[in-house]
Amino acid sequence: MPLILKTTRFIEAQIDTFLDIVSDSAMMFQLAVDDYLNGRIQQFEERLSQIRDNEHRADDLRVGIERFLYERTLIPENRGDVLAILENTDEVIDNMKDSLLQFSIEMPDIPEELDDLWMQTTKASVAAVEQLVYAVRSFFRDLSAVNNYIHKVYFFEREADHIGEKLRRQIFAMDIELSRKSQLRFFAIHIEKISDSAQAVCDRLSIYTIKRQL
Amino acid sequence: MIFIYLLSGLFLGWSLGANDTGNIFGAAVETRMLKFKSAALIAAIFIALGAILEGSGPSGTLGRLGSVDALGGAFTVALAAAITITVIVRIGIPVSTSQTIVGAIIGWNYFSGRLTDYRSLLTIASSWVIAFVLSAVIAATLFYAFRGKINRSKTHLLEQDFYTRMGLVLVGAFGAYSLGANNIANVVGVFVPVTPFKDFSLGGLYELDGVQQLYILGAISIVVGIYTYSHKVMRTVGKDLFKLSPITALIALLAEAIVLFLFASRGLYNLLLSLGLPTIPLVPVSSTQVIVGAVVGIGLAKGGKNIRYNILGKISLAWVAAPVIAFMISFVALYIIQNVFEQTVKQNISFIFDRQTITRIEHNGFDSKYLSTDNGRTFSSERELYNELKTNSRFTRPELLDIIYTTEIYPMKVNTTLLQEKGLNKRFTEEQWEVLQNLNDKEFRHKWQLATELAKDNCWKPRRMIAGEADKNYNRTLSAKLDILYRSFYREKAAK
Repeated sequence: MPLILKTTRFIEAQIDTFLDIVSDSAMMFQLAVDDYLNGRIQQFEERLSQIRDNEHRADDLRVGIERFLYERTLIPENRGDVLAILENTDEVIDNMKDSLLQFSIEMPDIPEELDDLWMQTTKASVAAVEQLVYAVRSFFRDLSAVNNYIHKVYFFEREADHIGEKLRRQIFAMDIELSRKSQLRFFAIHIEKISDSAQAVCDRLSIYTIKRQL
Repeated sequence: MIFIYLLSGLFLGWSLGANDTGNIFGAAVETRMLKFKSAALIAAIFIALGAILEGSGPSGTLGRLGSVDALGGAFTVALAAAITITVIVRIGIPVSTSQTIVGAIIGWNYFSGRLTDYRSLLTIASSWVIAFVLSAVIAATLFYAFRGKINRSKTHLLEQDFYTRMGLVLVGAFGAYSLGANNIANVVGVFVPVTPFKDFSLGGLYELDGVQQLYILGAISIVVGIYTYSHKVMRTVGKDLFKLSPITALIALLAEAIVLFLFASRGLYNLLLSLGLPTIPLVPVSSTQVIVGAVVGIGLAKGGKNIRYNILGKISLAWVAAPVIAFMISFVALYIIQNVFEQTVKQNISFIFDRQTITRIEHNGFDSKYLSTDNGRTFSSERELYNELKTNSRFTRPELLDIIYTTEIYPMKVNTTLLQEKGLNKRFTEEQWEVLQNLNDKEFRHKWQLATELAKDNCWKPRRMIAGEADKNYNRTLSAKLDILYRSFYREKAAK
């Protein structure tokens, strides 16, 4: 049986690797923001380059999986859904990379008193992505657990929105130039958007889960 | 000439291949779990195997319903059924092959003035209802079992897909095998008594008898039907009528295969018999009804919201319409074939009340006082005789049928060479064969005379004390063997 299942197991491994990359990228994102806030710019740039690599690898894997599923007419009923999930999850990595890239280009000067809220928003967004990875893994293996993780994604997304709002209010309450306020707001929203994209994947995932239920 | 006659059987085989394979593989092909080419190949191989290896069970039941006793009649009956199926399939509704052929046979019964064996008809008709309900129950049970198992097992979606695909191939093969075993009777069953084929040895390894060769020919025609036309029907069954997911398609298919197998397997029949359990009649059931039953079962298990009742109604209407249309086409076609093409569509059987038959009737324990007006009379139609006796006597239907059987003139001459040529000798035990050979060249005027003569030996004697299903089965087998003898030894010229 293992021999006959070779192709199947191969694609399963590809999907797992893809999700590992998403999870790695999320953790890397958090570390990168921490590095940036603490002025470890060299280390921050290294992490950005790692996330960039991750993004390329994830793209290649996704295209490979797509091609495999269509060429071998695997999971004909669900492959459209699976591809949509993979594509949307891939966008989450893109968002994280774009956010860090923007940091690297603009090098915004973040006042120290914002560090804590900034980190909390980042952590909530990253937690949403991590729960998303669990939800997607469960979609493949344990349908009954999907909703549980989706619920957590929604929770962390709300949390990220909530802290993000606090952060933005504090930015605009500070005695700094309007242009700087505007720039910081842009970065804060960028971080919140990561959890929003995780939530968008979950919206689809919950529908696909209903479709897959026997 | 017989090969021309056989053509209509092959046409019927073609329509069965086109129609019923759609029932088996429709959902699998339409959910893109199986390619049409793979489905067709699996169907072709396993329908042929089922037909050749296990096709003899249901043929018997169909034979009892109405004994189409002339080749022209068999040709017309098969043709009428095939035309009906083709017409309804072209409209895009899956139709029951079994019901159609039964309708056509009853058409023949009416045309030729024969009585329809209502008990066999009831067995067959009730089996259609039972098969539908059974299939729904099995499918619903399987659905719950599958759902529980899938939820517990935490198998990866891709592995699940792999197993479902494997399941569809394996169960599809099993379903095709059962379909071949169960439905080949519909295709060539009417030709069994008149098979033109002689024994054929496959390089000395395996010997195919005449009936098996007939089944092979039928199987080939089914295969041609699969490759040429079943794709269209698969689309209708798999997409337009019921939207199934691959797993529910597998469940429906499994339920269908199980039900077809239950109604076709002689092995299972014998096993149940030996265990003293109630048996399932070996009748050709409708694969269409069975698959629809399975889908309804799954739909109900899911809460009944997904069933498209309007389409179900349309299919059910076809179940009623198909036998009626087949009956009418059969009746009209028989008239045309007999009167325009001047072909024999029925044997001219007559019934006589003479000293010999009346003595026999009395010997069977019937009061002959009701028969006094019939003494010396000859009847040319079974139905006419039945109606006459019914009006003038108080005999029950089984008693009347017994009297009709006794008075039937059916000239025969024992000729074992004939049986040997068709490979039918293998159906008898060595003892039975020996007894038969001793009777070579002997002539008989009535069926009961041959049966009585044979019954002098224990191996041909029916069991009088019916203790259970085993005894019933013994007598049934014996009567099927006698049927082969009657048909083989019949002398048409003497009858005229």
